[in-house]
Amino acid sequence: MIDFELGDELELVRETARDFAEDHLRPALRDHEAAQSVGDSTLDAFRNIGFETLEWPETLGGSQLGALARCVVSEELAAGDAGAALAIDPLGPALYPLLEFGGIETLRELGAPLLHAPGSRAWLVWNGEGTRNRIERSAAGVTGTIAWVPASRVDLLVFLDEEGGFAVSEGIEHAPLRGSGLRAAGASELTLVKAPVRAEWSDASGAATALARCRLVIAALLVGVMRESAEYSRRYALDRVAFGKPIAHHQALSFLIADMASSVDCARLLVWEAAWRLEAGEDAHEACATAFVEAAEQAMFVTPNGVQILGGHGFMQDYPVEKFMREARALSLMLGGVDAAREAAGRELVSTLGRVALNVEAIG
Amino acid sequence: MNLSIDSETQKRIDGVRKLGESQIRPVGLEADRLGRPTPADHPFFDLLLEIGMGRSRWVGEEPAEDSDTAGPRVGNSRNMLCISEEMSYWDRGVAVSFPGPGLGEPPLISMGTADQKARFLGPFLEPDRPRWGSFAMTEPGAGSDVAAIASSARKDGGDWILNGAKSFAANASRADWIVVWATVDPSLGREGHRAFVVERGTPGLGDFVVERKMGLKAYESTSFTLRDCRVPGANLIGGEEHYARRAGFKGAMRSFNATRPLVAIMAVGIGRAALDEALAFARENNLLGDARIRDRLERIRRRLRVARLLCWRAAWLADHGRPNIVEASMSKAVAPNVALEAASLGMELLGEVGGRGDHLIEKLFRDVKAMDIVEGTGQVQRIVMARHLVQLPRD
Ligand SMILES: Cc1cc2nc3c(=O)[nH]c(=O)nc-3n(C[C@H](O)[C@H](O)[C@H](O)COP(=O)(O)OP(=O)(O)OC[C@H]3O[C@@H](n4cnc5c(N)ncnc54)[C@H](O)[C@@H]3O)c2cc1C
Repeated sequence: MIDFELGDELELVRETARDFAEDHLRPALRDHEAAQSVGDSTLDAFRNIGFETLEWPETLGGSQLGALARCVVSEELAAGDAGAALAIDPLGPALYPLLEFGGIETLRELGAPLLHAPGSRAWLVWNGEGTRNRIERSAAGVTGTIAWVPASRVDLLVFLDEEGGFAVSEGIEHAPLRGSGLRAAGASELTLVKAPVRAEWSDASGAATALARCRLVIAALLVGVMRESAEYSRRYALDRVAFGKPIAHHQALSFLIADMASSVDCARLLVWEAAWRLEAGEDAHEACATAFVEAAEQAMFVTPNGVQILGGHGFMQDYPVEKFMREARALSLMLGGVDAAREAAGRELVSTLGRVALNVEAIG
Repeated sequence: MNLSIDSETQKRIDGVRKLGESQIRPVGLEADRLGRPTPADHPFFDLLLEIGMGRSRWVGEEPAEDSDTAGPRVGNSRNMLCISEEMSYWDRGVAVSFPGPGLGEPPLISMGTADQKARFLGPFLEPDRPRWGSFAMTEPGAGSDVAAIASSARKDGGDWILNGAKSFAANASRADWIVVWATVDPSLGREGHRAFVVERGTPGLGDFVVERKMGLKAYESTSFTLRDCRVPGANLIGGEEHYARRAGFKGAMRSFNATRPLVAIMAVGIGRAALDEALAFARENNLLGDARIRDRLERIRRRLRVARLLCWRAAWLADHGRPNIVEASMSKAVAPNVALEAASLGMELLGEVGGRGDHLIEKLFRDVKAMDIVEGTGQVQRIVMARHLVQLPRD
């Protein structure tokens, strides 16, 4: 039976994430941007809650929660500060190829060391269709430049493409960048010159699942960003008076605000649907790509309008709405961008013969 | 959480699908081609009765008089949504033409006295022949602005005298009765509203005009007038006490509210039909190698999935007795435009074939526009949402 209930455990997880974001992320959002990092106390607090290893297997001391928990947490963190949400998560999306390709052993070997050296970061570089980076591999190692990663240090770089992936942990040179959105996580250009390959995998199906899960996390972060943009501008519109009434009560804006609320819910529902599929063991690659496209499109409707509702003030950095707009744009550039996800979902769709099933059918 | 269709519901969907393929769609295409509603004596309606349709959702005699005293109970409008979507997939116009109490049922169930339910819904429990109920709120001068209805109700002894004109009421000319909204005093706005069951053949009820529509031709949208139409006091829905409690307008709103996700999901059904047809046409015509076309089809499937989830969520909330006004309106604000986009894209893929006027997608394109108008326009849904989100005044 159709049911949208998260359940007590996930509600608690959500509440915890929300409190954490309120206490540690949102109040310091501009400080994080200026410093291009979050403070140690925030890193500690995050680790102490156990969020670093939310999805890690229990045998490695993790909570072994599923995709839905990850999405719920990501939304909350990103509603606080999306850049910081990346900064405090040592593995980030790189977790998925490690788990999909190598399982627990690989995670123990490549991932676990990052947890023991606070501030360490892994990053995932999409190296398949849609990437603008030129990465060369030869017997001598990996050579190439990665135009931007939202990190000021990278201890483990995982490359993922349609066929599999490989990991590099040495010979990574960082050149700091100003960054566009997500500055709190840092911003660097990475250069590799014959960097040694630490591990490599050939597994197209694992790669597809890893990519799907990465897309889903980015989509969940986008939901958080747009939610905060919609919420912030909604509140502002109730306070700001023009032509004798709160601007929210001019119909052009009240309708816009209603549509922005719809956008957030639309994106979230697709994220949850894809996460549910993953957890139910259903085919979820298309659903994750679809959720990513929806989140990106809706975020690019909501966040610029968030600025618009604040007018000139929205353009100024005294208010956070311009930041939300930059972050929404930056997040949706990842993993080959929106077009690659659209293409993946579109190809799956046109391979369907007969009726298109919008949701999973005939379960239970 | 569970965002799948369970196998039992799926079985029922498959049942509708069989009926859809063999009956609903052909009957809809026939009505569209002939440009008239399916006549009340069409054998299709008898067939529906035979297979157990055309009945009331009302379960019959209730133990307690007041439905408010019933404890919390988890409803199952989600399954109804799935069935309703599938009906619309085959033909939304035909789905509305189905015998049954129609939109008159919700106000009777929520506001009616036990006696009224028995009298007006009772005949729909085991109907001897196809029977219809109807619902008439809209007037030539008042649609979205429900408070502005001008049809008047004047007390005369134990009876009421109704005068006015009503527009676009589904199945009105063939109905056993019509739930008619009128006002005892226009200056009272919603407070003055009363709902009456006006029975077929009541003197003064007449001038039925079956409107000519762009689409959804299979059911009649009928305008009529009330001229000194005398209605017994026992036909005032809920009785006078009900209105003394000043619940008149809220009753009307409550019935609409329960209906929004249900109407929104019909748009999803139409949109899904358009998507399937468009995909099939594009495949036959080797169009699917074009990334531009794939992208646009992808968008349609994605938006239809979103729209469906919005409807499901609104119904799920209602089923658990949780407030769903924003969510219900959201589903109704989003789904019709998604479905229109689906049909419109279908037309584009057809190209000049769409111009011929004989393709199913072309019919869907004409049918679907109504979905953003009925049961509260898209604008009205946004107003409702804004009332909650930013306390938009009613002014
Ligand atoms: C196929 C069909 C079947 C129908 N069936 C029934 C039925 O069975 N029973 C029944 O009672 N009615 C029925 N209706 C009527 C339907 O409910 C009304 O058409 C609808 O409520 C809109 O009212 P209106 O047509 O008077 O448009 P209006 O209210 O005149 O609206 C015109 C336009 O103005 C917009 N608008 C109005 N007020 C505002 C505002 N405050 N802010 C911004 N925009 C605004 C509307 O959104 C719309 O775009 C049916 C209509 C159709 C098309």
